Amino acid sequence: MTGRASGRAPGIHLFVPMLHRRDAVGEHTRSLRDRLVAAGVPCTVYTELPDPDTVDETRPYTGYADDAVLGDVLVYQVATRSDMTRWLADRPEPVVLNYHSLTPAPFFARWNNPIARMQEAAVRDLAELAPRCVLGIGVSEFDVAELRAAGCPDTRRIPVANVPLPPVEPDPAVRATLIARKAQGGPWWLSVGRLAPNKCHQEAIAALFVARATSAPDAHLTIVGGPTEPHYAAALRRYAADLGLTGAVEFTTRLTPGGLAARYATADVLVMLSEHEGFGVPLVEAMSHGLPVVAHDAGAVAETVGAAGVLLHDKGPRAVAGAVASLLADPARRAELVAAGRARLAALGLEHAGSDLVTALQAVASGTQGAGGPSGRGTPVRPGGHSSH
Amino acid sequence: MTASAGATGPDGPRDAADATDPGDPTVDGAAPLPDDERELLDAFERLAPAGSLQWGFDDAMRRLSPSGDQGTWVEPWRGLPDDLWERGRGAKAAERMLGDVVAVLAQELTEYSQRIVDDVRRTVPIEGAVFDAIRYLAARVDRLEAAADPLGMRPADLALPVADATEWSTALTAWLAGADHPVVVGELGAAGVVGAVADSGADVDGVDPLGRLVWALLEEAPGRPGQVRATVGDVTEHLDRLPPACRSAVVLSGCPDRAALAGKVQLVTSAHRVLVPGGTLVLLVHDQEAWDAALEPTVRDLLAGRPFHPDTWALVLGHLGLTDPVVRRAERGSVHAVVARSAR
Repeated sequence: MTGRASGRAPGIHLFVPMLHRRDAVGEHTRSLRDRLVAAGVPCTVYTELPDPDTVDETRPYTGYADDAVLGDVLVYQVATRSDMTRWLADRPEPVVLNYHSLTPAPFFARWNNPIARMQEAAVRDLAELAPRCVLGIGVSEFDVAELRAAGCPDTRRIPVANVPLPPVEPDPAVRATLIARKAQGGPWWLSVGRLAPNKCHQEAIAALFVARATSAPDAHLTIVGGPTEPHYAAALRRYAADLGLTGAVEFTTRLTPGGLAARYATADVLVMLSEHEGFGVPLVEAMSHGLPVVAHDAGAVAETVGAAGVLLHDKGPRAVAGAVASLLADPARRAELVAAGRARLAALGLEHAGSDLVTALQAVASGTQGAGGPSGRGTPVRPGGHSSH
Repeated sequence: MTASAGATGPDGPRDAADATDPGDPTVDGAAPLPDDERELLDAFERLAPAGSLQWGFDDAMRRLSPSGDQGTWVEPWRGLPDDLWERGRGAKAAERMLGDVVAVLAQELTEYSQRIVDDVRRTVPIEGAVFDAIRYLAARVDRLEAAADPLGMRPADLALPVADATEWSTALTAWLAGADHPVVVGELGAAGVVGAVADSGADVDGVDPLGRLVWALLEEAPGRPGQVRATVGDVTEHLDRLPPACRSAVVLSGCPDRAALAGKVQLVTSAHRVLVPGGTLVLLVHDQEAWDAALEPTVRDLLAGRPFHPDTWALVLGHLGLTDPVVRRAERGSVHAVVARSAR
């Protein structure tokens, strides 16, 4: 089963279905690889499918057997279904799950049958792999709870490791353009997230519709996100058109870091009405840019934003429009939230997340994960072999 | 911080006491939404493909492709060919296009089915899926013509003449008097229609593809509280979602003018289906000359349909089985009325 490469030091290798640029999981994986290599740990990224943009950085996972070295640790980036899941379950090396949340299938069922089926299969595969893993790492307590539910015997929370702090500077040219546009009317709402059904961008559009009919006739909304689900993305555009909001709702994607930063820097509020969030990177980005947040209290949102956002249980269009209007009409409240956001950023410990993750993986590699390991729980690990559970 | 429902709506600021208690177990702590907000969100849900003929067709075709776990491999359905419409339009002559498209589809399906037979010579549940696929295919063929829209532009988005039907307000109220089921008002742009229907005492079931018109109606609904409901969406699709024989009358304006032939027929067929025996169908249609004079050249170029002459409508309604079609010509405005009844 395993070809043992001779003369190579054991490493911590990363497995991800595809390695994308400008993608949360992809950037996290690349960042982790760079940190491991910087720490002197051999690290290769193995994928199921090549991405033309990153093919030079990866190897096919089916070739790992020829590269394997006794003492290797395999880290699987879980975000979707992959043939690698079952393959990893059969590997003798210790496997660590780095969990990025699986969007529940029902969100996709009405929009994209294949994706829904794939997500269901991913949950089944996770339940098969999780009990065999030596450690499950979630980016939030919300994700950690899902890992435990899947059967992961030992878990830790380490937040995302690739959020740039301090934040990326806004692109000056883009910023100037956005400010000039904003001078013609506002406020500008911002909603950031993939165009996928669990993100519920349509509720932001509906709330904007109410806001324009009531408190803010010139309100606009920018939605930043790639069309993960094409039917859903097309429906969002048609919905905006149906409501007469074609000129009031801007859809954009593939922004440069500076371009995205300019959006955060010039918007008046981040509106995030997602139903399922494993962490909520846009919340962190908004807080780092001093942008107040109005968000639906779902998934890990409250855990991430703490007291630095207006959290809604009722996200009906009037409730959302009203919450935004109240916030924007109260400069003191807005300043209070921005200050709370900066404090929350510090409390999240994101600056340590990358090194914490490397330390946790090195602990697994050195066999210290378990009773004496970082978490103080878990099961002993035999390097190069199955964990003993 | 949690701020629930502390909203400022069209009715003014809500009292903080309205805020939902986060501990309230109902609907994730949120009270049920008012009808207008619910409709606003439902309008989006109706854009999901689930349940559509396309969805059912594709799902059936995917079921022809069992996973490897079952020890069977079938070439996955690759979807309809990208050049389907080009191939269908190759005949140029409009009356032949539908037939050509059906031929292309049939050829695709036949070729695919043959590949399956070649690949999988065993009896599996595939047989049922094939029948499902063919059933969905058959059901969607008669709508292909109406659905074809290579530019992705909806007629409702074009700047069309707005009907002023106030000339017919009094007559409408009289025609609909005694209605004991709701009355569908298909499209809400024509002035005077909703108020006239409400004045007849009937419950109004309004529908319009333009959300702003629906919202405006819900905000300023005439008649008694709860008498007027409104839905964002396509009129034909709305009618098709209703059970048969559940409406006393259907009043259509706007959509009958701009739809092409197939769409016009589908519209009135769907309306006929929901009428109770003896129910009333009212078409408020633009005068052709007034319509042509009012259209911008770009709209005229892009719009597939044109108003029928009211006599044509009377002929069509009779052909479709409605009884006693009567044409009432406009005396003051540019909107004619065509009235017919469903058979008792």
